[in-house]
Amino acid sequence: MIEIEHLSKHYGDNIVVDDVSFAVGDGEIAVVVGTSGAGKSTLLRMINRLVVPNTGRVLIDGQDTATLPEDELRHRIGYVIQGYGLFPHRTVAENISTVPRLLGWDRRRIAARVEELLDLFQLDPGEFAQKFPHQLSGGQQQRVGVARALAAKPALLLMDEPFGSLDPVIRGKAQDDLLAIQRRLGTTIVLVTHDMNEAFHLGDRIAVMDQARLLQYAKPADLLTHPAEAFVEQLVGTAERPFRLLSLVTVKDAMEPGSAEGEPITVSATLRDALAQLIWRGRPALPVTDASGAPVGRISVDGILKHGRASLS
Amino acid sequence: MPTLRPTLHLDRLGSVIAGLIGLALVASPFVTYRANRIVSGEGRLLFDALPPAGAVGTILVVIGVALCAALAHRPLVRLAAASLGLCVIFPAVGVSAGFVTPVGNTFARVSPAIGFWLLALAFALLAADALTRLRLGPWGRLAALSIAAGMLALLLLSGAWSDLSLMKEYANRAESFWREGRQHLWLAFGSMGAACLVGLPLGLASHRVPALRAALLQGLSIVQTIPSIALFGILIAPLGYLAANVPLAAALGIRGIGAAPAFIALFLYSLLPVVANTMAGLSQVPADVTEAARGMGLSRRQRLVQIELPLAFPVILAGIRIVLVQNLGLATIAALIGGGGFGTFVFQGIGQTAIDLVLLGALPTVALSFAAAIILDAIIDLTRRGGHDRD
Ligand SMILES: Nc1ncnc2c1ncn2[C@@H]1O[C@H](COP(=O)(O)OP(=O)(O)OP(=O)(O)O)[C@@H](O)[C@H]1O
Ligand SMILES: [Mg+2]
Repeated sequence: MIEIEHLSKHYGDNIVVDDVSFAVGDGEIAVVVGTSGAGKSTLLRMINRLVVPNTGRVLIDGQDTATLPEDELRHRIGYVIQGYGLFPHRTVAENISTVPRLLGWDRRRIAARVEELLDLFQLDPGEFAQKFPHQLSGGQQQRVGVARALAAKPALLLMDEPFGSLDPVIRGKAQDDLLAIQRRLGTTIVLVTHDMNEAFHLGDRIAVMDQARLLQYAKPADLLTHPAEAFVEQLVGTAERPFRLLSLVTVKDAMEPGSAEGEPITVSATLRDALAQLIWRGRPALPVTDASGAPVGRISVDGILKHGRASLS
Repeated sequence: MPTLRPTLHLDRLGSVIAGLIGLALVASPFVTYRANRIVSGEGRLLFDALPPAGAVGTILVVIGVALCAALAHRPLVRLAAASLGLCVIFPAVGVSAGFVTPVGNTFARVSPAIGFWLLALAFALLAADALTRLRLGPWGRLAALSIAAGMLALLLLSGAWSDLSLMKEYANRAESFWREGRQHLWLAFGSMGAACLVGLPLGLASHRVPALRAALLQGLSIVQTIPSIALFGILIAPLGYLAANVPLAAALGIRGIGAAPAFIALFLYSLLPVVANTMAGLSQVPADVTEAARGMGLSRRQRLVQIELPLAFPVILAGIRIVLVQNLGLATIAALIGGGGFGTFVFQGIGQTAIDLVLLGALPTVALSFAAAIILDAIIDLTRRGGHDRD
């Protein structure tokens, strides 16, 4: 559990973060969105005290971070930035083992951890462990950056536009991988982005910032249905709202009993994907199967529209 | 057919080299003969400078190298040709000295003349060009340097050159040659070491404190613009005062003239490259790298030692390379104020119009600077771990 209480930061007369409070539950992903210069990075950097707040405090599991030695605090918090900041003179294995070495882990444990992480991020240890960062593609560098941040098993991971320099295809894959790994490890994540799709894809809760202030902190669906201010509404995009809503719900919630003809859809697909399939196949309904491929019901255009209207009201 | 290449394709640099060789062979004396060490001499063309068989052999080899330079494409072939040429003309000029000197005459002097130097230059150019085209790695370049140094040592130790005027000058002063050599190295390396000891912390400090940066760089740049003679002059007064009034200074051998002001001048000239490159090296460490290091909880010290200095190291070394090459050359000037070094022979030689004595001081200086540049360049490449230049 991390609690941010009345954090403020100003540089001279320029107020960069203005009295921001919110809390992130264990194992949750909180995404901070907002326009450029809104103060997102500054807010994130106050959590690991790279920036010292003027007022307010940050509690991690009830403990005020200001009471901990800075370096010790940062050893416990993973940190990933846009350019990844991999050390160019160190191999992938050496990069990943940075914090474990600072913590004095023994060699065997470090080697085992590096191998485990490379496997987790689908990088063959035999091929990648001894490579230097400049020998990696952007997507591979990104994965090494996250692996490095997770090396000492932090309970909290801070990410500042971690996918910002990836192309759209790789970015989508990287987001899915991050979600899978996060579900597995149960890491709490605070992630900064200005990509709204990314925010809705990853966030359990979304914090919208504008001009140093936190405008709204809510679940994605609430943000869509009950935007706190005009700015939030504008940011999430009025025209895209219904589709974003559909993308937050899976087929399971709008499924009907019965059967239908055609290419089946899995229960875990989002309603948005299901609607796309229905339109594309030109059918009023399609069969739904579970993970093992067994038929469990059907999904129809009418059913989706009904569900959409219900969640809006 | 359009794919057919012309069988003979002239290499541009090679043609220039071949031209140089032709000029050396036809129009320039290979050695100069003088009745004694300071009178002016008469030139001997290569054909007259060696016994007939040797002369013909040498000329054939030299022409062969010229053809290779103009026509051969494979760098290894060109390198082999250049090496062969050098391995022939260097001993040849020694043999020529014995051949040209009348038997029993101990006053006559024979020196390499313009033709020899042109040939040596042409072959060296050819070798350097071939080595560049071979794209040798750092170890390859070090190996090439060692081989060249070994051949030179062999040439000098074998006595093949002992009839040359240069080696006669050496034989007359063997002891002082090595003494001045040590002094030269001490001046160059000692002042470099001192500049590193002072310059690295200064560079670090001015990287951290921007206010210091401008002032320091400007001050050191001004020092760089003072001519060495003027700097010696400026140093005489304070050092003389120090020697007269501080017993410890006098005991350390500090005087207004001599090695002390030379050492200090070299040290002052060395500071700018060391400080400037330390700063440049540290400031080119990417911002996201330092940010990540800070975010992962590396302390200030750990960041400096583990991240910033290793990443800045090649640039700092480049500064040290500049300093060393510069100091090995500049140390020659120390002799002007009695500071010793190879410059001693240069200035003596100029005074006596004995060109070979000048060479006795100048050639080792050039060789040292050259070797230092190659060695440090190789080390810089070797320290660029994970850089884009290494794969
Ligand atoms: N060290 C600093 N000194 C002065 N001003 C700063 C400093 N750091 C940030 N700022 C200012 O604070 C404001 C917010 O910066 P911040 O980096 O937090 O924005 P951001 O929301 O992350 O923007 P972006 O999306 O472009 O990354 C900006 O106006 C910036 O100029
Ligand atoms: Mg930012």
